[in-house]
Amino acid sequence: MNGKIRLVSAGAGIANGNKRYVVWFYLLNLALAWFGTMAFSRQAHAILDSSLYSDKLLHGFDVAVLNELLTRPEFGVRAGATAPALMFAVLFFLATLLFMPGVLLGYASDHGLPREEFFRACGRNLGRFVRLFLFFAIIAGLASAILFGVLGVLVKAAESSLYERLPFFTQLLGTTVIFVVLTAIRIWFDLAQIDVVLRDQRAVRKSVTAGFRSPQFNLVRLLGSYVVISLLALAVLVAGILLWHAIVPPASVLGAFIISQAMLLLLLAARFWQRATAVAFYLRAAAEPVDETQPVPRIAASSVPQVGSGI
Amino acid sequence: MPIRRRLAVCLVASSLALPTLAQTVSTGPSIPETTSAINSPTPLSQRVVAYDIDAKYDAKAHSLDATETLTYHNLTGQSLDTFPFHLYLNGFQPKSTWVREAKLSGSRDTSFEKWESNDYGADEIKSFEVVGKGDFTSRLQYIHPDDDNQDDRTVFQVHLDQPISPGGFVQFKIRFHDQFPRTVARTGWDGDFLLAGQWFPKIGVWWHGAWNCHQFHAETEFFADFGVYDVRLTAPQSEVVGASGVEVGSVNNRDGTKTVTYHGDDIHDFAWTVSPRYKVFNDTFQSSMGPVKLRFLMQPAHWNQVDRHDRILKATMDRFERWYGPYPYKTLTLVDPYPDSAASGMEYPTFITGGTPWLALKGSLDEPEETVVHEFGHQYWYGMVATNEFEDPWLDEGIDMYSQFKVMDSLYGPETSFLNLWGMTAGQREFRRLGYLRVADLDPITRKGWQYASEHSYVGIVYDKTPTVLLTLESIIGEDTLGQAMRTYFMRYRFTHPGGEDFLKTIEEVSGKDLRWYFDQTIYGTQVLDDEVVNISSIPMNWYKENPGEKKGEEFTSAVWIHNKGEFILPVDIEIKFDNGEKVRERWNGRDRWIKYSYQKMAKIESVEVDPDHKIAFDRNNFNNSRTAKPNGAAASKLANYWIFLAQFFAQFLAWWMV
Repeated sequence: MNGKIRLVSAGAGIANGNKRYVVWFYLLNLALAWFGTMAFSRQAHAILDSSLYSDKLLHGFDVAVLNELLTRPEFGVRAGATAPALMFAVLFFLATLLFMPGVLLGYASDHGLPREEFFRACGRNLGRFVRLFLFFAIIAGLASAILFGVLGVLVKAAESSLYERLPFFTQLLGTTVIFVVLTAIRIWFDLAQIDVVLRDQRAVRKSVTAGFRSPQFNLVRLLGSYVVISLLALAVLVAGILLWHAIVPPASVLGAFIISQAMLLLLLAARFWQRATAVAFYLRAAAEPVDETQPVPRIAASSVPQVGSGI
Repeated sequence: MPIRRRLAVCLVASSLALPTLAQTVSTGPSIPETTSAINSPTPLSQRVVAYDIDAKYDAKAHSLDATETLTYHNLTGQSLDTFPFHLYLNGFQPKSTWVREAKLSGSRDTSFEKWESNDYGADEIKSFEVVGKGDFTSRLQYIHPDDDNQDDRTVFQVHLDQPISPGGFVQFKIRFHDQFPRTVARTGWDGDFLLAGQWFPKIGVWWHGAWNCHQFHAETEFFADFGVYDVRLTAPQSEVVGASGVEVGSVNNRDGTKTVTYHGDDIHDFAWTVSPRYKVFNDTFQSSMGPVKLRFLMQPAHWNQVDRHDRILKATMDRFERWYGPYPYKTLTLVDPYPDSAASGMEYPTFITGGTPWLALKGSLDEPEETVVHEFGHQYWYGMVATNEFEDPWLDEGIDMYSQFKVMDSLYGPETSFLNLWGMTAGQREFRRLGYLRVADLDPITRKGWQYASEHSYVGIVYDKTPTVLLTLESIIGEDTLGQAMRTYFMRYRFTHPGGEDFLKTIEEVSGKDLRWYFDQTIYGTQVLDDEVVNISSIPMNWYKENPGEKKGEEFTSAVWIHNKGEFILPVDIEIKFDNGEKVRERWNGRDRWIKYSYQKMAKIESVEVDPDHKIAFDRNNFNNSRTAKPNGAAASKLANYWIFLAQFFAQFLAWWMV
């Protein structure tokens, strides 16, 4: 437990020391979403701005009125409003894939990473991260398919039970188990990404193997850390929604914007906290000496493990 | 013996025999005049039928064997030699009309993606005897009055060699075997639960000079005559039994079963249910005619909601009594059916099914309340005012939906929402209006139930258009007047089979107004209303001068343009607001395609609204009913903010898991 707390706090320290990464990603997230929702905004303004009926959406929020708005012929095809938002969500995902190597390198450095090194790391590792993503997609996809398939069978069996609540609890328990398993897979590939970046590893398969082996003796600690951070993020989400409903007047656009953006910033920070925790774990558990001939970032000597430490 | 003495003896003997003979004649078939199931000393309806049924239920096989004695009183005024019967359970067979229509056009219940053995239902006649006339089993003839589907066996008829004279009785003795399907269309079994609806051979109705006995369609319900029911149900002793009517006895049998006897007066259908796991709650409602025993059969996981069901049921009964008329029966059973079964939300005389999830958050989602209000309402619109659900589905479903709105408004405030969660609401009237508008120009309200263009049209017109039409009618004749008309309609036509014109004429009579122009468009037509504020403008009178309109005290000339985009002609109010606070109301008859109003005032127009009191419930587009001079982007910005939040959240979620 103490180890877990130290790991979590170490990760928090790293993330806090590199707050600028969270801020940049948040701004990128906001900017892309802004562009992605412009079509929707334009269409909504065209119908609502001059209509007194829009009051039902402003003071209060009548879902029936929203439904009527979205089905108006003037609103246009719904895909026209939603597709750009989805497209920009994919762009954000790609941007994250691109810039995450620089972030991981920055987390592993004990000094502020210069911009050149940041972008060099991003460029050098883009192809590797794409390959890692494909590995992850296959493994996580297979695991999800199997686990959700089994869950579906269990829920169906529970539905034939005379105990009405059984399907719900089966679904809840099953989803929790799936979440833990997928988190473990995520940890695996987070560590693989760190290994690729810090060891400048071209053979991605080796990093995948390294990432799989490295947490074996401490999986509970690292998994526990990830779960704790995820639960904190969930708490932020729930608290944010409740606060939004409790203190923001229905007609206050600015108030709603501030609360919603604060939630999103904290959620993003939570993910970066996880990444930083993984970096802290990796540095403590790293085994292979550094190759002097390759340019590597300077890492604090105390955090580099000795040869033969078991990775 | 001298002849005179012999004659005297004969005369005396024959006079003694006459009463005996008379007794013999009077002990033929008859309809009982019992009143033990109603709070009335005399029968309430013209009883046409008496059903006496002995049924034994096999819980393992979900089947039933029964003997039915049906006494029919010929009150048609004509001799009858042909009698049609419904066998509704035969509708759940692969080639039946019900299943065919569900597959082709969908249904509210199921579209049978895949046929499974559990879907099969049947009502099989084992023997058919006309008492006093012999066995007619081999002479039964399946008929198809509505389509050419030779495989449909939901209606059969029997032809007698000798007709039954007007005023006469005929008695049928029918042995039948039921196979219940897995719950579909509010009948059948699920788990250890059974809801037995439309489970016995039921004679058709002589209506408007002919037999009315339609096949069972995917979008139709039922139609039957009032009478008396005596039903003895035998089921395993572990079962908790509930049924229409009053329970008059229960006997445990030696074979581990029990026989529960029920009696119903002045009802036109009989349904029942069994489950070993029901939890039972009893209460009493004091109606104006006497006490009504309320019996709640709840699923164990919903036991904590029984008070909620009790409260809403009694509140609804109170309103119906006060608004429309008395509830005369001695009992009402409310069944909480098996979860996620197709048995929820259904009505039978003195017996209704609700339906609720185990997590029904009071105040957030009013699911059990809405269902109970609606299903109890059917005790009036269908149960007592027994309209033809095949041909006039709107007269029970649509009118009941309107009553449901009124009850919910009365209990929870005007324009009740069935959702109240985190600031979100969902107005029930709004959703009904939207449901109607999706199919607005497809079918008139008076379409026969199985002839609607689609299942969506059936629901949209019957359930959604009817209440919006009645709500808008309130704005024409007044809410109180319409309420009075509904009361008059109920009191006049209860225990009879009225038609649509009976309802409409009652409204005209009570309101004292000719409403044909309204009914022709809303009830018999498919016209759609869409009033639009096309444009508003205000220009200073001295527009040609430098800096016009900027001085105080300037005079403006303003114009308003209203357009009737639809085909519906309806007089409407229009309210014009000026920026000095002044309001002007105009009344437009809506007959022309458009109208313009002009004004000359020391003020500019601020906004214009058609129907400012929001009394019209079926305008196609509420967004264009008003226009403001200055745009206000707050509502759109609020929506855009929500959408940005969702887009950002989704993007982060994607990146969280995938990178």
